[in-house]
Amino acid sequence: MIALSYYPGCSLASSSSFYDRSLRKVLAYYGVALNELDDWSCCGAAAAPTIHQNLTDVLAARNIALAEREGLHLLAPCSACYARSKAASLKIAGDRATRDMVNQALAPLSCTGSVEVKNVIEVFLQYVGVERIAASAAYKLGAIRAVSYYGCLLTRIMGVPSSDDTEDPTGMDVILDALGAVVVPWQYKTECCGAGSTITNSEGTAELSGRIMTMAVRAGASAIVTTCPLCQLNLDLVVHLRKNAAALPVFFLTEIFEFALFGAIEGGGRHLIPADDIERSIETPGGDHQ
Amino acid sequence: MIRQTSPVFRIRPPATDLRAASGKSIDIIEIKFKNKNLIMPHPSFLDEIEKSAGVTVAECYQCYRCTNGCPVARDMDIVPHRVIAYIIKGEREKVLTSTAIWTCLQCITCSVRCPNGIDIARVIETARRLSIESGLAAQRDTRLFDGLMIDSVERHGRLYELETIMRYRLSKKEFFKDTALGLDMIRKGRIGLAPHNIRDRKTLRAIIRVIKEGTGK
Repeated sequence: MIALSYYPGCSLASSSSFYDRSLRKVLAYYGVALNELDDWSCCGAAAAPTIHQNLTDVLAARNIALAEREGLHLLAPCSACYARSKAASLKIAGDRATRDMVNQALAPLSCTGSVEVKNVIEVFLQYVGVERIAASAAYKLGAIRAVSYYGCLLTRIMGVPSSDDTEDPTGMDVILDALGAVVVPWQYKTECCGAGSTITNSEGTAELSGRIMTMAVRAGASAIVTTCPLCQLNLDLVVHLRKNAAALPVFFLTEIFEFALFGAIEGGGRHLIPADDIERSIETPGGDHQ
Repeated sequence: MIRQTSPVFRIRPPATDLRAASGKSIDIIEIKFKNKNLIMPHPSFLDEIEKSAGVTVAECYQCYRCTNGCPVARDMDIVPHRVIAYIIKGEREKVLTSTAIWTCLQCITCSVRCPNGIDIARVIETARRLSIESGLAAQRDTRLFDGLMIDSVERHGRLYELETIMRYRLSKKEFFKDTALGLDMIRKGRIGLAPHNIRDRKTLRAIIRVIKEGTGK
C-alpha cells in the first residue's frame, strides 16, 4: 500500500469534481491511498503573481507546509497547482530569503521545501508502473484513437527540471498505450489552450483551443486526453464558442483508466462535448460490444 | 578603453535619435569624453525590471526565438523579443503602456526556449505589476479578474467560481455575456455554485492583507 498526500485544488473541488472522483477511484483500485491535505487553500494560480511575488510564494507555501506535516509526497493533479507548488517547494528549499519570508508570514505553520510534488502522470508511472497498468486493462480500448494533450504547465516550469521532455513529452502516451488505446501522434501536445483568460478574453481562448481541437481532428483522433482541469474545460468549451467546428470529447487521463478497468465512466454527464460515442465503442473483455 | 583617435572604432549615434526622444520617454545618460559626448539610454528601467523580476535581461541577443514560439504574438502590439529590446533601450513608457504585456498567457514557451535563459514570461509578469503601479496599464481586465480571484481566496480560502465570475461580469456590465454557455455549464455541474470555506480562513485573510498592504493596494 502506497500513501500520498493529496492536494485537489479549487477546480477539482468544484468545476471538475468528477475528475476528483475519477482519480480517487482509479488510484484506490491500484492500492494508492490519497490523504487529502487538511484545510488546504488556493495555490494562487495565475492571479497571485499579478498582485505580488510574495503572495505567489506564500499561498503555495501554505499547502507545502501542510504536506510537510504529513511527511508524504504530494500529488497535485491540476497543472497550475502542480507548477506553483513544485516551483515554490524548490524555491523554499534553495533560497533562504524566500524560506524565511514564507515562514514568517505563515507562522505557526512552517516549511523547508522537503516535500516532493508530483503530477498524475508521474504518480501512475512511478507508483503503479506500466506493466501493472497494461495487465490491469480488462476492457479493450482499441476503438479509442487518442491524442495526448499535456498543455503548458505540466512540463514547462521555469527553473524546475521536468520529469518529461519539455517539447515532446511522452509519459501520457506510454500510459495510454499500456491501457490499450491507439495513441495518435500529433504536434500540439504542449500548445497553450488559452489558460486563465477564459473569462477575460473568451474569443482568444476559443481561438487557441479551437486550433488545438482542429489539429486533433486533422490528426485522425477520436478523443483528446489531458490531466489539467483548465485545459479540459477550455477545450470542452469549444463546442459553445466555435459552433460550427468539429469537436472531439476531451477526457481526463483517469477516465481512460475508468474505461479500461470498469468499462464505463462516472462523469460522462459532465462533459460539454458528449462522450457517448466513445463509451459505446468500449469492448467487453470477451470481445463483444457492450 | 575607448580611444577617440582610433580610426577603426567610432562611436556612432544609435538608430533612434535618443537626444530627441529623451524629452518624451527615454532616460538618457551622457558620458563626456575630451571632444565628444556619448549618449546612451539610462539603464534605470533595465535595472528596475531586472531587480524586480530577478532575471538578467541584458543578455538578450535578439534571436527572435521567443516571438517565434509565442502562441499570441500576432495579437501583440509589441512582440516578445521587441519588448526585451525596448527594456534594454530604456523605453519604460512604451513597454508599460503596451497591450502585449496583457496579451501574454504566461504559457512559459518563450522562457524555456530562450538560449540565454532569460525568463521572458517573468519579465512580462513584472512589467504588468509595474504598469499597474505606475498607472500606465493599457488593459485592466486581467488585473480586475486576478484581483477578484484573490479576493475570493481572501474570503473563503479557495476560489469560489460563481461569485468571482458574477462579480467580474457585474463590474464589466456584461450581464448577458455567454449566458447559453453558462447555463449549459451549470446544468452539467461545471461551475462551483457554492463557496468552499476553509476553517483557517481568518488567518489566511490576515496573511493576504499584510502582503497586499505592502503593495499599497
